[in-house]
Amino acid sequence: MDLPRLELLIILALPLVAGIVVGLMGPQRGRAIRWIAAATTAATLLLTLHVAAQFMRFNTPRAAQAEKRVDTPTFRPLFVPGAPGVTLHEGNIREENPHGTSWNLLPLGPGNIQFFIGIDGINLWLVVLTAVLGVPVVLVSWNHISVRVNEFYAWLLILQTAMLGIFLSFDIILFYVFFELSLVPLFFLIGIWGGPERRYAAGKFFIYTLTGSLITLLGVLGVVFACYTKNNNELTFSIPRLVEIVHARLRIPNEEERQFWANVQLWVFLALTAGFAVKVPLVPFHTWLPLAHVEAPTAGSIDLAGVLLKVGAYGFLRLCVPLAPDVSLNLGLPLVSTLAVVGIIYGALCAYAQDDIKRLVAYSSVSHLGLCMLGMFALNSAGISGSIMQMINHGLSTSGLFLIVGMLYERYHTRKISDYGGMAARLPLFGVFMTFICMSSIGLPGLNGFIGELLSLMGVFEQQWQRDQFPIYAVIGAFGMFLGAWYLMTMLRRVFFGPLKEPPVPEHEQHDPITDLTGRELTALVPLAILCVVVGLYPQPMLDTMRPDVKVIEDIAGNARKRVVLAAQRGPAVVENDRGEGAAP
Amino acid sequence: MSKTSALLPVIVALPFLASVFTAFFGPRLLRRHSHWPCILATATACVLSCFVLAGVVRSEQPILAGYEEPPPSVRYDFTWMKAGSVDIGYTLRADGLTAIMLLTVTFVATWIAVFSIGYMSHEREHNAGYARFFAEMSLFICSMLGLVLADNFILVYAFWEGVGLCSYLLVGFWFAKPAAAAAARKALLVTRLGDVGFILGILVLWMGFDRPAPLGGPDPSVLNFDVAFRLAPAQDPAILALVCLLFLCGAVGKSAQFPLYVWLPDAMEGPTPVSALIHAATMVTAGVYLIARSMPLFHAAPPYVLMIVASIGAFTAMLAALIALTQPDLKRVLAYSTISQIGYMFLALGSASSGTLVAAAVVAGIFHLVTHAFFKALLFLSAGSVMHAMGNVIDMRRFSGLRYAMPTTHWTFLCGAGALAALPPLSGFWSKDEILGVTLKAGAAEHYPGVYVVLFLMGLLTAGLTAFYTFRAYFKTFWGELRIPPEAGDHAHESPEVMLVPLRVLAVGAVALGFVIQPLTGWFSGLLEHHWANVSFPGQPLPHVVEHGHNWVLMFISSMFGVGGVFVAWFMYVCQPGLPERVVRGMQGLYQMSLNKFHVDEIYYALFAKPLSMMASVFKVFDQYVVDSVVDLVGSVPRMIGMLLRPIQNGLVQFYALAMMLGLTVFLGALVIRMAR
Repeated sequence: MDLPRLELLIILALPLVAGIVVGLMGPQRGRAIRWIAAATTAATLLLTLHVAAQFMRFNTPRAAQAEKRVDTPTFRPLFVPGAPGVTLHEGNIREENPHGTSWNLLPLGPGNIQFFIGIDGINLWLVVLTAVLGVPVVLVSWNHISVRVNEFYAWLLILQTAMLGIFLSFDIILFYVFFELSLVPLFFLIGIWGGPERRYAAGKFFIYTLTGSLITLLGVLGVVFACYTKNNNELTFSIPRLVEIVHARLRIPNEEERQFWANVQLWVFLALTAGFAVKVPLVPFHTWLPLAHVEAPTAGSIDLAGVLLKVGAYGFLRLCVPLAPDVSLNLGLPLVSTLAVVGIIYGALCAYAQDDIKRLVAYSSVSHLGLCMLGMFALNSAGISGSIMQMINHGLSTSGLFLIVGMLYERYHTRKISDYGGMAARLPLFGVFMTFICMSSIGLPGLNGFIGELLSLMGVFEQQWQRDQFPIYAVIGAFGMFLGAWYLMTMLRRVFFGPLKEPPVPEHEQHDPITDLTGRELTALVPLAILCVVVGLYPQPMLDTMRPDVKVIEDIAGNARKRVVLAAQRGPAVVENDRGEGAAP
Repeated sequence: MSKTSALLPVIVALPFLASVFTAFFGPRLLRRHSHWPCILATATACVLSCFVLAGVVRSEQPILAGYEEPPPSVRYDFTWMKAGSVDIGYTLRADGLTAIMLLTVTFVATWIAVFSIGYMSHEREHNAGYARFFAEMSLFICSMLGLVLADNFILVYAFWEGVGLCSYLLVGFWFAKPAAAAAARKALLVTRLGDVGFILGILVLWMGFDRPAPLGGPDPSVLNFDVAFRLAPAQDPAILALVCLLFLCGAVGKSAQFPLYVWLPDAMEGPTPVSALIHAATMVTAGVYLIARSMPLFHAAPPYVLMIVASIGAFTAMLAALIALTQPDLKRVLAYSTISQIGYMFLALGSASSGTLVAAAVVAGIFHLVTHAFFKALLFLSAGSVMHAMGNVIDMRRFSGLRYAMPTTHWTFLCGAGALAALPPLSGFWSKDEILGVTLKAGAAEHYPGVYVVLFLMGLLTAGLTAFYTFRAYFKTFWGELRIPPEAGDHAHESPEVMLVPLRVLAVGAVALGFVIQPLTGWFSGLLEHHWANVSFPGQPLPHVVEHGHNWVLMFISSMFGVGGVFVAWFMYVCQPGLPERVVRGMQGLYQMSLNKFHVDEIYYALFAKPLSMMASVFKVFDQYVVDSVVDLVGSVPRMIGMLLRPIQNGLVQFYALAMMLGLTVFLGALVIRMAR
C-alpha cells in the first residue's frame, strides 16, 4: 500500500485510538491527557497536509481526465485503501475499480458494505479544515476544562474521527454511520461540560438532528434499493457507483422508467433534505443551533460551527444533488435558494438583536451558510466552487470568532455584549484579532471570506441571468453581505471600542490578573489568521484541486437541465406524484 | 513587458510592505521611528510614479502588467480566482489618468505623513499607537494606489473595499472615544451600502454584456477594462444604463455624495492627518476616479445617466455648501466643503453629455480633483495645526485672532482658503472655471440642454457660497481679538517645523499648480487627451473638439462670485462683528435648518437604521417564541401521545384482568357474530 493511503487510514484511526487511550486514563492525569490530545491532533494535521500535497500532484492529470471524459459523470476518489484503485502512472491516471474497494465490511446479499474511503477535490479541503481546527480546539480547552478531563478529550478525539469519517466516506452506509456517530460525542460534550442549560440543549440538539437524519436514512436506503431493482440486482453502497447508476437510468427515454425515477428522486430528495437541512441549518430548521452553541463549551462550538454545519452542506453536494439531479433542479433550486436567502436576511437580523456574543455568532452562521447553500444551488462551477470555499472560510472565521469569545469568557465569565465596552484598550491583542476575524467574516477582499461570497454570488447571478430571470437571489445575497458588516461592526464597536467598561472579575479568580492573549492562545489563533490571508490572496490551488469534481456536479446538473428542457418540449412535465409511494419498491 | 510595467506592482507593494513591517516591528523595534517605513515607501512610490508618467507619455498604449498575453485573453501571471466562468487575475494598468492619480496620491500622502510626525507626537510616547497609526496609513495609501492601478473591476472593487477598511481603522483610531468608534462604523457601513450597488453593477456587466461568446458560458475576460470598453458601444442601452447607475451607487457612497454623504462629516473624528488623507488624496476621490475610468461605459449609456451624475453632483455641491454656511466647527466646515467640491467633480464628469465634450469633461473633473487634493490637504493640515496648538479644540466659537500667534499656519490656511474659494489666479480658480465652462457647453449640446443650464447656475451660485463659508471660517479663526481656549495650556504657539514644511509645500501647490499645469502649459489636458481618451475608447475614435481658448466672460463672472463671497464674509465677520447675530435672528428657520444639517442624519435614522434594528428585535423574539415553540410543539407530540396512553398502564392487576376479559369478550363476540352471519 502506498503512502497516502496508509496516511488516510492513520488520519482516520489515530484520533479514535488516542481517544480510547485517553478515556482509559485517570481524570487526575490532566497534563498528560492534554499533551496526548494536542500531539494527536497535530500529527493528524501534519498527515492531512501531506495527503493534500500528494493529492495536488494529481491536479493536472485529473483536469485532463475531466476534459476528455465521455462516460457518465461521477466521483473518482483517490488514495482508496484496499483497492488497486486509481494510481498515477507516468503522469497519467490509471484506474482499476474506481467505484469501490476490496475491503468489505459487511456482506449483504449480493452486495457488500465496504470500508470505502478516499479523497477527491470536494472533500479534500473539508478534511484539511477538520484537521486544522482540531488543534485550536484542544488548545482552547486547556485550562477551561478541569472536570472529567479524560472523558472530555476522549469525546473530543472521537468526534474528530467521526467528522473526518463523514467527509472521507464514499460508501453511503459508512457515511451514514459516521454521520450518526458524530452526534454522540457532541451530545456528551454539550451535556456534561456545557453551560447552565446544557441538558436541555444537548437533548434538543440530539433529538432534532437525529429525527432529521433518520429520515435521511430512509432516503439512503431508498436510493440503494431503487438502484438495486432497476440495475440487474446489483446491490451497491458505493456513492460513485450509485451516482453512475442513477445517471444511466435517467437517460433511458422510457415513460415507465421516467415516471419511476421521478418518484424515486422526489422522495429521495425530500428524505435527504430533511436530515441535511437541519444540519446546515436552513431556516426554519435552525433553532437548535443557537441553543447548542450557547450552551456548548468553546471546543464544542468550534467543532459544531466549524465542521459539523458543513456536513449538512456537504451532504447536499455529495448525495442530494447527484442522486436526485432532476428534482434538485426543479424543486431544490427554488426551494433551497428561497430558504437560503430568507436565512441570509433572517439570520443577519436575528444576529444583530442578540446580546450574547455566542448567540450572535450562531445566527451569523445561519446567515453565512445561507450564502453557501445559495451558491451550491446555482448548480454551476462558479457557484459550487464558491459554496465549497464558503464552507472552508466560514469554518476558519467562525472558529476564530468562537475562539476569541471563548477566551474572553474564560477571563470574565460573561458573554453579554452589554457587560463589555472598550476592551481593545484593556486587551489590545484581543482587539486586533477580533477586528481581523470580523473583517474576514464580513468578506473583506484579500481575506478568505470574500472568495466564497464573491464566487457564490457570481454563480447564482449567472444561473438566474442566463435564464432571463431577475437575479433576485444575488441581489439579496449582496445585501446580506452588507447586513453581515452591520451586525459584526456593531458588536465590535460595543465590545471592543468606546470607553472602557470591564466586567467584574469573578471572585475566586481575582488573585491572577487578567492578561492579554497568552502564548498558547496565540498558537491557536495565529495559524487561523495566516490561513485567512493565504486563502484570501491565493485561493487558486484550492480552486484548481476542486475543479474536476465540481465539474462532475455541474455536468450532472447540466444533464438534468437538458432533460427538463426536453420534457418541457414534449409536453407538460409529469413530475407530480400523488400516489404517495415511498422510494423503496 | 516593458520596464515601466514592472514598476506598477512595485508601487503597490512598497506601502504594503511598509505597513506589514510597521505592524510587526513598529511597537518593539522602531518605536519612535515608526513613521520611517511609511514615509520612505510613499516617497519612493512618488518617484516611481514620475517614471510611470514618463513611460505613459512615451507609450501610445496603456501600460499593462500581469498579463501573460494581452487583454482579450485571460492568461495571467498570477491568477486570483478562476472557477467556471469566473477568471480574475492580478492585473495592473497605467495610462494618463492613472499616472495623474498616482502622482497626486503619492505626493500629497507623503507630505501628510511627514506632517503626522509632528501631529501625532502625543502618541509617540505610547509606542504601539504610533506604530499602528503609520501601519494603517501605509495600508490606506497602498489600497488607494492599488485602486487606481487595477485593470479589472473585481480588483478595483477589492482595493475599493480595502480603502473602506483603512478609513474604518483610521477614523476609529482613538477608539476609546465613543464618537470616533461610532463614526468609524458609520463610515464603513454607509460606504458598504453603496458597494452593494457597485458589486451588483460588476455582476450585471459581467453577465449582461453581449459578446462573441466562446463555447460554454460567459466570457470571463469582460471584467477587464479594455474588453469592457471595447464592447461598450455595441451593448443594449438598458443594460449599460443599469451598469452605470449601479456603479454610480458605489461612487456616491465612496465619494460622499447625496444621498450617502452622511458618513464624511463624522469621519473627522479621526486624527486630522487622516481627515486630510481621506478628503484629499484617497477615499473620496475614488468615486470620481471610478466614473472617469468607466467613462467609456457612461458615454455609451443613454444620456440621462450622465445627466443624473451631473445632477447629483450639482445638488450635493449646493446642499453641502448650505450646510457649511453655519457650522461652528472648523473641521466640519472643511468636511462639508469636500462634499461640495466632490459634487463639482461629479458635475464636471456628468457634463460629458456629447462625444465632443467627453475629453473636456474628464479633464475638468480630474483637474479639479488634483487641485482640490492640494488645497484640501493644505486646509486640513492647517486646521490640524490650529487644533494641535489649541489643545484639540476645533470649535471656532472658542478661539479667534490667531493671525499673529500662528503666522505660518495663517498664511498657508489663507492660500488654501483662497484656492477653495476659487479666487484668481489660485489653483482652484482654474479648475472650477473648467468645470463651469464644460457644464455651460453641455447646456448648449443636444441632450437635456435646459437641465445643464440649471446645473450651471447652481454651480455658479455655489461658487459664491463656497467663497463665503470658507472665508467665514478663515476670518473667525484668524481675525478679531486673540482668544485661546484654556485647553491649549501653554503651547498655544506656532507648530513645529516638521508640520510647517508640509504646509508650505502644499501651499505652493495650492497657489501655483493649477496655473502651471493647465492654462499655462496645457500639459494636463494634453496628457489626458492623448494618453487616456485615445486609449480608453478602443475601436471608436473619440471626436476631439477641445478648444483651448478661455471663456473670459465666464471667468469674470465666476471670479466675481468668488470675490463677492469673500467680501460678504469680510463685511460680516470683520467689519460688522454684530451683523451675523442679527442676520441669524432674521432668518432663524433657515439658520436652524442649516445648522442641523437639514436633519438628514435624523431622517435616515428614523427611516432606515431604526426600522432595521426594530425589525431585528422583532425577528429575535419571533425566532425564540414562534419558530422555536413550533419545534418544541412538534417535539412534544410523542410525549402527549404517551400521556394519553399512560393511564392504561396503571399497574393494577385487576384492571389488566378486566381489560383482558373485555378484550376477549369483544373478540369472541365479533367472531360469533361473524360466523353466525
